[in-house]
Formats: sequence, C-alpha cells, structure tokens
Amino acid sequence: MKTERTIKESLKGLGRNKTRTFLMMLGIIIGITTLTIIVSAILGAKSNVMEVVAKFGLDEIMVSAGAGRVMGVQQDVPVTTLKLEDSEAILSEVKNVKGVAPSINTRAMPLKSANGNTEATVIATIPQWVDVWEWYARLGEFITDEDLASLAKVSVIGQTVAKELFGNEDPVGKQIHIRGVPFIVKGVLEAKGVGPMGTDLDNRVLIPLTTGQKRLLNREHLSQIKVKLRDPRNMKSTVEEIRQLLRERHNLQAGVEDDFSFVTPKQVTEVATEVSTALSLFLIVISAISLIVGGIVVGNIMLISVGERKREIGLRRALGARKKDILTQFLFESIAVTVSGGLLGVILGLAGGKILSLFTKLSMVISWEPFALAFLFSGLVGVLAGISPAKRAASLDPVEALRS
Amino acid sequence: MIELRDISKTYKKNGEMEVRVLQSVSLDIKKGEFVAIMAPSGMGKTTLMNILGCLDRPTSGTYRLEGVEVEKLDDDHLSLIRNEKIGFVFQTFNLLPRASALENVELPMIYSPRSGDLRKKATEVLNAVGLGDRVHYKPSELSGGQQQRVAIARALVNNPSIILADEPTGNLDSASSLEIMALFENLHRDDRTLILVTHEADIAQRAKRLIQMKDGRVVTDKKIR
Repeated sequence: MKTERTIKESLKGLGRNKTRTFLMMLGIIIGITTLTIIVSAILGAKSNVMEVVAKFGLDEIMVSAGAGRVMGVQQDVPVTTLKLEDSEAILSEVKNVKGVAPSINTRAMPLKSANGNTEATVIATIPQWVDVWEWYARLGEFITDEDLASLAKVSVIGQTVAKELFGNEDPVGKQIHIRGVPFIVKGVLEAKGVGPMGTDLDNRVLIPLTTGQKRLLNREHLSQIKVKLRDPRNMKSTVEEIRQLLRERHNLQAGVEDDFSFVTPKQVTEVATEVSTALSLFLIVISAISLIVGGIVVGNIMLISVGERKREIGLRRALGARKKDILTQFLFESIAVTVSGGLLGVILGLAGGKILSLFTKLSMVISWEPFALAFLFSGLVGVLAGISPAKRAASLDPVEALRS
Repeated sequence: MIELRDISKTYKKNGEMEVRVLQSVSLDIKKGEFVAIMAPSGMGKTTLMNILGCLDRPTSGTYRLEGVEVEKLDDDHLSLIRNEKIGFVFQTFNLLPRASALENVELPMIYSPRSGDLRKKATEVLNAVGLGDRVHYKPSELSGGQQQRVAIARALVNNPSIILADEPTGNLDSASSLEIMALFENLHRDDRTLILVTHEADIAQRAKRLIQMKDGRVVTDKKIR
C-alpha cells in the first residue's frame, strides 16, 4: 500500500517534468529501437536460411567432382573423376540411397530463340532428376528414357529462361539454340526462386545426359551427383559409405586426398548463416553501446535531478518519508523511464523494421522476442542507472536538504 | 509532552571551528500549549525546531516526546514520529511547485502507515483552512498567504499532536500574517500543541507563553496571556 503510493508519487513526479522525462527516455528509445530492428532482421534472416535449407532438402547429399570444392564456387577446370558408373554404383550399392541425379552442369551457356537471347546454366541429366530434386515440369513434360536412348535434342527450361526467350508466349514445342545447337522445348519447370548463395535457380535449361555428352558438350564425366536418402538420420554414415565406395572405384590409396567432395544440409546452413551472424553480432554490439550510453544519460540526469530536488527530498523526509521511501521513489523513476522508453523503442523498432522491409530486401520477423529483450534490458539499465542517484537521494541529511 | 534536558548542539564549521548553537537548553511543553520561541536570526531557533521535530539529533542531552526517548530511536522510527505526531510549517512554505494544492496536502498521507482516502481527507483539510475552492491550483497561482494555508493544511492532514512553525509569517505581508495567526489561534482552540519560532515581537505576542533565547540559551520563559 505504502510502496504503491510511493510508486504513484514517482510517476506523478515524472509527469510533472515532461521535458526532463523525455530527454531521459531518448537514449533508451534509440537503443531499443535499433535493437528491435536488428533482432527482427536476424530472425528474418534465420527464417530465410531455414527456407533455403528446406529448398536444398534435408535428406539430400551433393557429391561433386574434385577435392575441397567450396559450395557455390564453381570450378573452371573440369575434373574428370566422376563418372556415370559412379552414380549407378551409389544407387545400387549404398542401401540408404533412394535415388541419384547425376548431371553435367555448364554455366553461362549462350541461348537463343526467335525472340531473343540470354545466358543460363545448362544441366545434362537423367529423367530421375525430377524425383531427386522434387522439382517438376509446370508446362509440357520432362525428359524421358526414350530421349536419353535416342540422344534427343530436347530441353526443359526454367521460368527465367522462358521469360527471357519467349516473354509471355507458351514455349512448349518451340525451338531454342544452345551454343548454336537447336533444341526443342519439351517443358517448363516450376519456379524455385533464389538459391542458398543468391543465384537464380530458375535460370537453367535441362537436357538429356547423353545428348549433352555426345552432341553438345563433348565430355563424358559428371559435374555432380545429387543423392537422395531413405533415412536422413543416417546422413553421416551414408556419407562415409559413399566416400569409401568412390575411393575404391577411383583406386585411391590410403593417404591420398578424395577426388570428390560432399555438400550436406548442415554445410548449407552453416554457409548461409555465417555471413549474417558476423554482421548481426556487430550490430548487436552497436545497439548495446547505444543502450549503455542511454543508461549513462539516465543516470546523469537522475543525479542532476537529485541535486535540484534536494529541497523536495528534505521536505518529504520532514513529512515522514523513510530513506527507503526516497530510494524507492527515485529508483522507480529511473526504471519507469527506461522501461517505458524500452517499450516505445520496441514499437518504433517494429514499425521501422516493417518500413525497412518494404524498401529493402531485408525480411523482418515480428515476434515476442524483442518485447522480452527490451523489457529485460531497459529494466536492467533503469536499475543500474538509478541505483546510485537514488541512494544518494536517500542518504541526504534532511536538515541540510531543507536548507538548500 | 515535550521534555528537553540539557540539550546542546555544536556544528563543525569549515572542519575546524566548532560552533555551539544550543547550550544546555531545558524545556517542558505540555499538551495544548501555544508557545512562541523568540530569538534574533541565526541564534539556534531553527536548530531547536529541527531537534523538536525529530529531524536533527542533539549533540548531548535528552529529548523525551510523549515519554519516548527520541535520540535512541533509529531513522525509520524518527520518520514515523515526524509523520504521525509532528506537523511542520516553514517560512518558505516548501510546497512542491508543480503539484496542485491537493497533491501537496496529500504528501504526508503517502508516507503514513494508515490507509484511507487521501483525496477526501486532503479536501476536508483544505476546506477547513478556507481553500476549498482552490484545491486544483498550483502554488504559483496562489498568493503567499494562500500558499502558507496550503502548507498548514499539509501539516494538519495526518492529525499530529504538535505543530511546529518556523517563522511562518516571515515571507508574508502584514494582512496575510494576521490571517495566518488567526488560523493558528483557531488550531490552539482545538487543543493542539503549537510551537512557533519567530523574531517578530508582535507575532510572538499572539502566543500564550514566550520563550526568549540568546546565544543558544534560554534567557526568559514566561506566560504572557
């Protein structure tokens, strides 16, 4: 009851000096606003990463030709170690493998149609690619076993390619030239959007593996094999099994480095998170500094305020306030300022984040975390900034204070 | 009610010079008395008031208030005594400038262990001092006499047994001074103990008992009316 009245007294005191109260709040508002925007952006980035990983597939492994290939960095020197037979062996000999999609990928191949030209990645692969990638034709149909057997010059194009070469027309049945070689468009893939490293997944053309080997690229070896697992929980042991199999098939002696490499969902997550983590850590440090500065401002104004309000403190003591009551009053003033500044900051931050996400590519996630963080941090700052001025106010000698 | 025995108070000025503000002051004040303490400025009046009001402690001597030895009490107890038993009236009014008359009068009740309707009680007391129509005014919107009446209402609101007034008319013109003194006489008729410190002889003459002090000592102590 008594404490409640004292707390009410703090709020009244804050209300009576609105300019001072606002100035005290300002630093906290700014600090919490930036913190909120950052937290929203981090949560947004995190959900992006999860989407990316989901796109890659949690039950999939990528086996690439060549050692130590870094994800997303394509090699210009062709590595001739990975063969179609390797792919077939993985499917038949490793129990946990459900399907394989061997492919030869060639970037930046020139494409031409009657309407225009562009560049895209050409992927020579087998009909099972569809099931392994879970990526289907939206229009027309996909490459068939007959196409493969007859080295047919047919293609399935991504949506970006379709737009570039045919605009709004239906491309199915029309002709395109890949590096001067004519192909018939059999189908159009459904849209997939942006990949883990920011590449446009829809800017691609798929052709039969055999056609690619014999009639377009004049090479036998594969770029990569995408492997789909039956049970993703055995990811690690399956990767090891495939490694042993390939080493054996490639006649690699013990101690010799692998001439192939793996990319697993875990790695995709790591690469995609790494960049944003470093940046967000930096931003968090900055907003923490602005919160500390805000806290120092609150503490300073509280100290000045205690000096200015000596008479008030003396009077309150004369009227029966205990040291404890004065301490409570001033400490609560500080906490009320920072917590309400914090809540204001969250609201501003969420609004600011929303606006930012409209004008930039940043995606923001609105959730309860910023509220909890703001409440916690601003409350903490309030206590830390207020405790020393409040103690000083409480320990003033009432006679001295009244005389001032 | 009030028993002072050999109360002395010394201050250290500039860390070296000791100033004796009160020297062996002994006093008895009974319930319901109206006492004026007269002394030239700077002669220990305010110090005596502060000791009587449990704001300050004597350097030596004993002070019994309603039989309780005050100097043995801790700070929280003294605060409680100030809150319940003593009403202060200051020369400079000491009102919170940004708070309304009502809020100013409510102040002592905030620190009272008793509960109750603050607003109602404060309004009653403001009515009693003749400011019922000014409850929402800020001090700056009130005259000096009205401000001092707010301060008196504040002193009365917790129904204390002793009112201590330190030069209550010191900042007022003569008309307002008369008003305030009339108010004090009414309080005296209500059987409250009033102790008034002043250096003005005509104000002191309104009391029933006059104590004159000089150089920190009581020089005369007599009934005057």
